[in-house]
Amino acid sequence: MKADTDTTARRPNQRPELAAIDDETMRSVLRKMHLIRKFEEAAEASYMRGLIHGTMHLSIGQEASAVGATLALMDEDYILSTHRGHGHCIAKGAEPARMFAEFFGKENGYCRGRGGSMHIADVDGGNLGANGIVGGGLPIAVGVGMSIKAQKLDRVAVVFFGDGASNEGAFHEALNMASIWKLPILFVCENNKYGMSMDIGRAMAVPNVADRAVAYAMPGVVVDGNDLPAVAAVAREAAERARAGGGPTLIECKTYRLRGHSKSDRNLYRTKEEIEDWRNRCPIRRLEAELVAHERFTPEVLMTIEEAAQAEIDTALDFAKASPDPDPKDLTRDVYAD
Amino acid sequence: MSTLTEAPVESAVRELTYAEAIREALAIAMEADERVFLFGEDVGVYGGAFGVSGDLVHRFGTERVIDTPISELGIAGAAVGAAITGMKPVLEIQFSDFVTLAMEQIVNQAAKIRFMFGGKAKVPMVVRLPGGSGTGAAAQHSQSLEAWFAHVPGLKVIQPSSPHDAKGMLLSAIDDPNPVLIFEHKLLYKTKGHVPEGDYRVPIGKAAVRREGRDLTIVGSSIMAVRAAAAAEKLAEEGIDAEVIDLRSLRPIDFDTIAASVRKTHRLMVVYEGVKTMGIGAEISAMIAESDVFDFLDAPIVRLGGAEVPLPYNPVLEKAAVPQEDDILTAARRLARGDA
Amino acid sequence: MPVEVILPKVDMDMETGSIEAWKVAEGDAVKQGDILFEIGTNKAVMEVEAPASGIIRNLVPASGEPIAVGTPVAWIFQEGEEAGEAAEPTAGAPGTSLAVGRVAPQEGPLPSSVTTPTPSPSPQGGGESGAPMNGRHAAPTADGIRATPLARRTARLNGIAIDAVTGSGPRGRITEKDVLAHLAQAESAAPAPVAARAPAETPAEGELVPFGPVRRIIASRLAESMRVAPHFYMTAQMDMSALQALLKRVGPRIEKAVGVKPSLTVLLARVVGGILPRHPMLNASVEGDAARLHAAVNIGIAMERDGDLVVPVLRGAEGKTLAELTRDFGRLREAVASRSIQPADMRGGTFTLSNLGMFGVDSFTAIINQPESAILAIGRTVEMPVGRNGEIVLRPMATFSLSSDHRIVDGVAAARFMADLREAIECPEVLI
Repeated sequence: MKADTDTTARRPNQRPELAAIDDETMRSVLRKMHLIRKFEEAAEASYMRGLIHGTMHLSIGQEASAVGATLALMDEDYILSTHRGHGHCIAKGAEPARMFAEFFGKENGYCRGRGGSMHIADVDGGNLGANGIVGGGLPIAVGVGMSIKAQKLDRVAVVFFGDGASNEGAFHEALNMASIWKLPILFVCENNKYGMSMDIGRAMAVPNVADRAVAYAMPGVVVDGNDLPAVAAVAREAAERARAGGGPTLIECKTYRLRGHSKSDRNLYRTKEEIEDWRNRCPIRRLEAELVAHERFTPEVLMTIEEAAQAEIDTALDFAKASPDPDPKDLTRDVYAD
Repeated sequence: MSTLTEAPVESAVRELTYAEAIREALAIAMEADERVFLFGEDVGVYGGAFGVSGDLVHRFGTERVIDTPISELGIAGAAVGAAITGMKPVLEIQFSDFVTLAMEQIVNQAAKIRFMFGGKAKVPMVVRLPGGSGTGAAAQHSQSLEAWFAHVPGLKVIQPSSPHDAKGMLLSAIDDPNPVLIFEHKLLYKTKGHVPEGDYRVPIGKAAVRREGRDLTIVGSSIMAVRAAAAAEKLAEEGIDAEVIDLRSLRPIDFDTIAASVRKTHRLMVVYEGVKTMGIGAEISAMIAESDVFDFLDAPIVRLGGAEVPLPYNPVLEKAAVPQEDDILTAARRLARGDA
Repeated sequence: MPVEVILPKVDMDMETGSIEAWKVAEGDAVKQGDILFEIGTNKAVMEVEAPASGIIRNLVPASGEPIAVGTPVAWIFQEGEEAGEAAEPTAGAPGTSLAVGRVAPQEGPLPSSVTTPTPSPSPQGGGESGAPMNGRHAAPTADGIRATPLARRTARLNGIAIDAVTGSGPRGRITEKDVLAHLAQAESAAPAPVAARAPAETPAEGELVPFGPVRRIIASRLAESMRVAPHFYMTAQMDMSALQALLKRVGPRIEKAVGVKPSLTVLLARVVGGILPRHPMLNASVEGDAARLHAAVNIGIAMERDGDLVVPVLRGAEGKTLAELTRDFGRLREAVASRSIQPADMRGGTFTLSNLGMFGVDSFTAIINQPESAILAIGRTVEMPVGRNGEIVLRPMATFSLSSDHRIVDGVAAARFMADLREAIECPEVLI
C-alpha cells in the first residue's frame, strides 16, 4: 500500500505543512482521527443506553488539535490531558479497548475502572492523565518539566487545556515558572469558544489565549485547530525549540466542540446555525478532501482507513463489555503505595 | 519521658534544635539520593522564612535548593508533576496557612492520582508546613489546619513534637512513596533535644507513649504533646498519674496505642491546637466510642481544642485561643477527680 | 432497516425519564435532527432529535410515566419498509454497534437491567417492621440511669443491676468505684436482704433515710468489729508542747517544699509510725487462729465526708519523713474531698488514728477498724494545770485513748505502747 500511495514528492504544489507529513504518517494520523471520532460516538451511544454511568465530555470536532499537537512526540515524551481528553489519549497511542473498559468501569480498563472518562491515564505510555479539574494539569506539567531537566532527559511535555482554564490562576503560575526555568513544555490550548456555556469573548480580556504568552516571555502562536497539518507544524517547531533548551511555547488551537459541554447540555447558549457552520469545518473531512485534491490518497483508500477504524472500535467495545467488573473487596486498594 | 527505641544508641548526647534537625534530615536525604530536592518560597539564600533550610543552597546548589515564585498552587502542582516522573520533591509552604492556595493540587491531584490511575502511579512528595500559633502572627499566619488533610484518603499527615522525631520522621516521609504532609509547629523550631547523628527513621503511623500513668490518658501531637508531658509531671506531684501519648501521625492514626492506654486508665483527654469542633478530638473520641474500649470509659471524654475564633493578634487573646499547659492541668485534675 | 428511537440518558444518574410530549405523530415523515419528543427528567425538559430520516411508527404515547433509559419509544422506517419488519419493536435491542439509530432490532435482546429495572428490595427487608434487633431493646442507655460505660461493664460482669447502685459522681453518675463499693457491701451484707430500697410509705415517726453504699459498709464493718473483737481501753494525758513547737518550727518549711501544711494528725502518724515497729502486736491482724504481724506501718486516718466515715491509708509511715507523709496526706485529703479516692487508697491499713480534737472533744474511745488490732483516739489539746517539779504549771495537754483487740493485745503490751508514745510525744527527738 505504501508504494502506490506515497506521492508526497510528486505534489510540489502542496502547502509545506501538508508536505511535511509523509504518507505512512498520514495513514496513522487519519486512523487516529477516525478512532477518536468513532470512539466518542460509540461512547455516546453506550451512554444514552445507560450502559455507562457518570458523565462524559466529548471532543467530537477537535480531533486535529489532539493528533496534530502530539505528532512530533516520541513514545517517552509526556502528555497531560483534560476532562475532554479521549482524543489526547488515543493520539498518544492508547488502546481504545482498554479505554472503553475504563469507561465501562471494568477491572482491565486503564485505571481498573477507578477513574472513568475524566481520569484515563497511561503512565507507561507517557500519558500522565486526564484531569477533572479545569487547569489541574498545568502546574503538574511544570513539575514534569523540572523532572526532565533534573534528570537531563531528552523529553518534552505537552499539556492540553481549554480556553476556560486560561482564566485560572494555575495557568498563569504555570506559564511563569515554565518560562523562568526554561522548561521543555508545550502549552496547548484547545480554544473551543466556550467554557461550559461562557463565551470566551465574555470571559477573557484579550482576544486570543495566545496573547497571554507575552506576559511570560514565551512564543504565543494562534493556529487553526481544525487544520491538522497546521497544528502539527506549529507543535513540531515548539517541540524542537523545547528539546534544544529554548523553553516553553503557548499554542492556541482555535476549534469547536460539536457536542454539548457534557451530556446534560441543552445548548441554550449557542445557535444551531453556529453548530452547523462548524460541522462543515470538520477537521477529518477537511483533511481527507485536501489529500484527495492533491491525489495523495484515493477516496477508496480513505474509506478503507475509516472502516478499519470502525472495526477496531467495534472490537474494542466488545472487549470492554466482556471485561470483568472490579471486586468490591478491592475497594480500598491503591489508595496508598506500599 | 520514655526513650525512643528507634534511635541508635549513642554514648555522647548531642543536642540540636528542631529546625536544625529538619535541616540535617534534608541534607542526609539529598546526599543519599539525587532525586531529592527542596523547593519553595525563599528557601535559597534567605535560608527559609524560619531558617530551616539555612545554608543548604550553598551545599547543594540552586538546582537542588530552588527558590520559587510566590505561586503556592503552582509549586504544589510542580511537586506532583516531579513526583510522578521520578523525582522526590520536598516542598516548603512558607506558612501552613498558605496551603489554602494549594488545596487543589494537594487534595484533588496528589492525594488521588494513584487511586484514580488504578495504582499505576506513585506520588512520592513531601510538603513541609510551618504552622501553629504563639508568634503574634495573627489569623492568617497561625492556623493549625492539619485535620483538614487528615480527612483526605491518599495523604499522610504527620506532626513530630521533638527534634529527634522531626529528623527521623522527615527521613521516613522522604522515603515514603506517597504524599506526606509534615506540619511543623513554629514554636518548636527553637526547642532543643537529643538528635542522633546520621541516618535513622521514626516510623509514620506509630504513636509514642511519653509517660506511663494509670489515672488518665492525655493524647496530643506536636506542641500539645510537649505541653501535655510538662503538665503530666506537675500532675504527678499532685498525685495524679497521667499517661501521655504523643500521636505523631494523624493519618494513618495509631489507634491501638490510644485504645490500650484508655483500657488501662479509663479516662481520656485529647488536646489539639486546631479548632475544637470537627477536629482531631472528635475523631479520636468517636473511635473510642465505636470500639470495645467504650466499655472501659469511667468518665466522659474531654476534648481540649482551639477556640471557635480566628486566631487573634493580642498575645493574651492568642494564648487564650489555644490550649496552654494550665488548661491541660485544670482539665486533667477535673477528669481525674471525676468532676468532668 | 428500521431505526429504533430510544429514550436516551440525558443526565448523570438518570435511570428513567418520561415522554412529556411528542412533536411528531404516528406516520409522520421526519428528517434526521428533527425534534421528536420532549423528555422529562427530574431536572429539566429536553428535546430529543430524530436519529435518522423516515416514517415514525410504533410510537409509545406520551404519558408522563417513567420509562427506563434505553427503552425503544418509536421506530423510524425507511420508505417502503413494512411495519412488520420490526416485529415486536419493544423487544428489539442493540447489538455490538451502539451507534444510536443504526441498530437492527433482530440482533439480540436488550440487557434486562436496562429494559426492566426492577426496584432492588431493601437489604434490610423487614428491618423496620418493629422487631427489635437482638438484645437492643435492653440497651443499657435506655434505662435512664447515668452511669459510665466502665461502671455498666463492671456491674454486668458481677451480675449487679445498675439501678441498684447509687452514683456518687456529678449529677449522680455511677462510676466504677460506686459499683465496687456496692459490690463490697453486697458481699459483706449478703445474708441480710437490704430493706432500705423498699418504698417509704409516709413513715409514722420521722423520715426514713436509706443507707448509701458507704454507710452500709460502715455499719456492717463496725458491728462486725464489736462482735468479733474483745475491745479494751487505755487512756493517758500527754504534754503536747514539744510537738506544738516542732510543728511551728518545721511547718512552714514543709509547706514550702510540698505545698501542704503539716497537721497535728500527720505529725502523730509520723510519731506512731516511728514507734509501732517496736510493738508488733499493735501492728497486726487476726487471721483465724494466728496473728499476722505486718512489716509496714500503714496508718489509716479516719475522716468524715458528707456524713460518711472514710479511712484513707498513709502508707509506709515507719520510714517516711514528715514532709513525705504531709504530701501523701494532702493528696488523700483532696481525693476524699473530690470523691476521687480510689479503693486502693483505703485498703491495707495496719493501725488507725482518729482525731476529734478539732471539735472540742476531750476524750473518746473508738471501735477498731477490722482487721487491725488497735485504734488510737485523740482528743483536743487544751491548756491544763499540771505539776512540774513541784509547781503547778499550765501545759497543752491532750488525752489519748487506745482501743485494743484483746485476742492478740494484752494490757501490758498496750501499756508499753502508751509509754513509748508518751516519750515520743513529749520528747520527739527520741525518734531521731
